Amino acid sequence: MKLNLFEDKNTINEHVDVYYSNMRPQIKQIIDIVNSERLSLSGRPADDDLDEGEEILIDPKEVYYLDYVDRKLFIYTGSGVYRIMKTLAECEELLWNYGFVRVSKSNLINIYKIKQLKPDLNMKVYAYFDNGERICVNRSYKKGFDEYLQRMRKMA
Amino acid sequence: MKKYLVNLALMICISYTMVSVTAAIINSLTGGQTNNRNEMIMFITCIIASVVLSLHGLFDNISPLAMMVIQYLVACVLVAVFILIVSRFDEVTPRGWFEFYRSFTIPYIILAGVYYYSVFADTRKKADIIRELQERSK
Repeated sequence: MKLNLFEDKNTINEHVDVYYSNMRPQIKQIIDIVNSERLSLSGRPADDDLDEGEEILIDPKEVYYLDYVDRKLFIYTGSGVYRIMKTLAECEELLWNYGFVRVSKSNLINIYKIKQLKPDLNMKVYAYFDNGERICVNRSYKKGFDEYLQRMRKMA
Repeated sequence: MKKYLVNLALMICISYTMVSVTAAIINSLTGGQTNNRNEMIMFITCIIASVVLSLHGLFDNISPLAMMVIQYLVACVLVAVFILIVSRFDEVTPRGWFEFYRSFTIPYIILAGVYYYSVFADTRKKADIIRELQERSK
């Protein structure tokens, strides 16, 4: 994508014009940034107490996957594990634009962080990430996963 | 439940038509003959297979391989019950038992192999799409 920047010290109304051929996720993300609605998730390190730990802003692009365990939602990034105070369904809705798709009852994965997708000998399909972890793609979410990939492919 | 029953009825109709037409083609090629009892056995076998395969939703949390083995065992039990019922009205020889299980097992193994291959092919296709999306986002 070509980027033109114009500096004009006399400009009173700063503005951004976006020319696009189709409304794909990257364009939506640019719009979010301009509207100051860039999505960031706030979470606390998983091993801290909820009241004590410092809240950290997490860029969705850094997230490998989300895991819902014991009614708690954890975010797995390259730098650590964080707990966030949202539901998996809320995150699914917020993050679909950033490459996140539901692959089981308790997992949302970032397709841009997948290193490899392959089936085991027992025919369970796993998504392998850069950090060496893997998440199972459940059969009952297969259709949704397929549809998501096709939709992202059309939009990209 | 209504949707499940409609889908099940559809599966039974399709599978019985396929089995029946295949049997008719083989019979016409080999000069064989069929009778009402054979037709009923084919129909009930199709019902057993359709019911067992339609239960796949119950096995979402276990591996597909284990699911296929469990489904096969359930099918074997249902077939045994069916043959026992038939044997109340007609004599079933040990050879009859063997033939029935053989004609049930061979297509099952072939279809399981096809499914196994389809899982691998489908995953490879998805992995390619993911790689393509990752390239485009760079």
